[in-house]
Amino acid sequence: MREFDDGRPTVNRRRFVQGATAAGITAAAGCLGGGGSGSDRAPMDVEEWPPEDLESNLNMWNWYDSWADWAIDAFGDEFDVQVSNTGFSSPDQWYSQLEADNSEIDNVAATTNWVERSIENDYLHELPVDVMPNWENISDRIKEASSFQQDGSVYAVPEALVLYPLTYNDEYFDEAPGSWGVLWDDEHEGDLCMWDNATVSCQIAAMYTGQDPIQPDDFDEIQEVLVQQKPLLQTYWGDYQQGMSLFVNEDVVAGPLTMGRTYSARFQEGAPVHYTAPDEGAMYTSDLFVIPKGSPNPMASLQFTNWASETENAAKLFETMGYQPAVDISDELSEEDAEFTNWPDDWNLVFSETLSDEVRSRYDEIWTAVKAA
Amino acid sequence: MAGRSDATGESAATGRVDALVESAGGRLDDLAAYFRERPRLRTLAVAGPPYATLVLFFAVPLLAMLVVSFQTGSIGGPWTLSNYAEFLGSEIYLTVVWRTLLVSLQVTAIVSIVGYALAYSIVRFSRRTTLLLLLVILPFWTSYIIRMYAWINILQSDGVLDSTLNAVGLPALGLLYSGPAVLIGFTYVWLPLAVLPFYASLTNMDPDLIEASKDLGAGPVRTFASVTLPTTINGVVTGVVLVFIPTFGSFITPRLLGGTNNIMIGMVIENQFKSAFNWPFGAAIGMVISVVVVALLVLGTRLGGGLFDTGGGEA
Repeated sequence: MREFDDGRPTVNRRRFVQGATAAGITAAAGCLGGGGSGSDRAPMDVEEWPPEDLESNLNMWNWYDSWADWAIDAFGDEFDVQVSNTGFSSPDQWYSQLEADNSEIDNVAATTNWVERSIENDYLHELPVDVMPNWENISDRIKEASSFQQDGSVYAVPEALVLYPLTYNDEYFDEAPGSWGVLWDDEHEGDLCMWDNATVSCQIAAMYTGQDPIQPDDFDEIQEVLVQQKPLLQTYWGDYQQGMSLFVNEDVVAGPLTMGRTYSARFQEGAPVHYTAPDEGAMYTSDLFVIPKGSPNPMASLQFTNWASETENAAKLFETMGYQPAVDISDELSEEDAEFTNWPDDWNLVFSETLSDEVRSRYDEIWTAVKAA
Repeated sequence: MAGRSDATGESAATGRVDALVESAGGRLDDLAAYFRERPRLRTLAVAGPPYATLVLFFAVPLLAMLVVSFQTGSIGGPWTLSNYAEFLGSEIYLTVVWRTLLVSLQVTAIVSIVGYALAYSIVRFSRRTTLLLLLVILPFWTSYIIRMYAWINILQSDGVLDSTLNAVGLPALGLLYSGPAVLIGFTYVWLPLAVLPFYASLTNMDPDLIEASKDLGAGPVRTFASVTLPTTINGVVTGVVLVFIPTFGSFITPRLLGGTNNIMIGMVIENQFKSAFNWPFGAAIGMVISVVVVALLVLGTRLGGGLFDTGGGEA
């Protein structure tokens, strides 16, 4: 090191530039969240249950907020793991983190089509379901419904079934409406709503017009009926809370809402609402637990995934959120809850398969045109 | 003995601190001298960090969005111009842009008038300016979504507004899910953004100019048009731009308050990213909208005679 005559180190141009560059790179790395790419341990390495040496932390992204609040304490206490949850309103929030090379998220409650996208892009760990004791609790109906198993590999464990039914005010209607046509009935003008969601609304219109909601053959008809419907509506709701509030405040008497929000409106808010699957059919999908690659705590995440499929923990999910758990919880339910969660065998339920790019694009165009009409 | 020892120790410690301070001061002097001899390096050291921040968090994302907007289907797909062709060639999307422009102009006009009147009254007629400004800014301390839900409660049928009107014998308005509800929501949200620059420019204005105008026989309207407004035009343009730009890209307010007939282009962009999974198309719309907004910004700058000039305009 060259020194001044009095012994203090000098600052030459090269040293300054080197220092500034190093500081800049360090700062940029900090800003960009660079760092570890998660644990090297993979869930498929687990050959016997329970997995050894759980990590001390678990960072989950679960949008069943109330259940997650309960699970943080229940799972954390049982396994001595510090659990945190990041709620989200839209799956793209966690998906973009996976795209950016995840190093933080251990466990996600992901909707089926986002799971499929994640599998296609190799973002998820394969899961050793054969050694997970609670895998057998998952009902066969759900195992078969979702496309989370590819080429003999399983990438997710189902959490719940999510039905998109017709929700209605059961004081206004003498009996459950039998057709989506109720949303096109002039008699209820101003008391109806639709979901501000291109796929859901276009699929309802497809079913109403007798078409296959996954692969419709007459897009013009779908657009035409949605434009016809528009004057009858009070609003398109875009936020789940807003949708539920419309029914709780009795601003509307019928419209699409999720089963879980209908449950909350009925049992937590005291609203006179119920749901049904009209004769034309109703769509449903599933939410699933996945462990993203780059997870810093994969063993804790795996243990959590198994723990959540225990019957009493799944029952808690239904009690707090109102969605149909992936586990048979019939023995745990009150008579009232059992009646609410019962889906008659004659209901025509259509699994919400991932749409082709063409259909999704057309649905999106239609929905924009309808709202701009 | 002990006291003497302590005194000696204290003196030694003080000496070490002095030496350290002197040493540090010497190094700072050297550093200052080093930069003084190198003006270009000094400029780089001062201007570098903010420019780097702009490049990292503004230019790079914008460039990334531009690149994505020329791709097909998904990020990393083949190159194409189809996203722009689809957007610019579609009557539907252009209709939405036109509607968004109209709503944004309406909101900007309302906020500007209300905000200017508010700022003027605070500057000219009130002594409690700090308190009043605090009250104007106060809503910013609450989440945007929560404020929108508050307006839902106020505007909905049987809400606060209609209940109050009914209580005094007036008919309910039923404003929720309508165009006026969107205007009310936007006005409430953006008012502080306009009031602050209006307030700053009005504070800088010389009140003697108004008195002079009156002395020369001008009435209130003419004084306002020929003295007050031209003198504060930079603040007005700043406020207008600050309101217009975020309104143009908004999607939450029209979605929550607007009902079925108030689609705005921000909602279309949001949908492309969150539901349609067509990020390139969403990016293309975003780029076009950015160009429109920048064009309007330039226009505003020309009208204002120097948008970021903090001084008052010429009377």
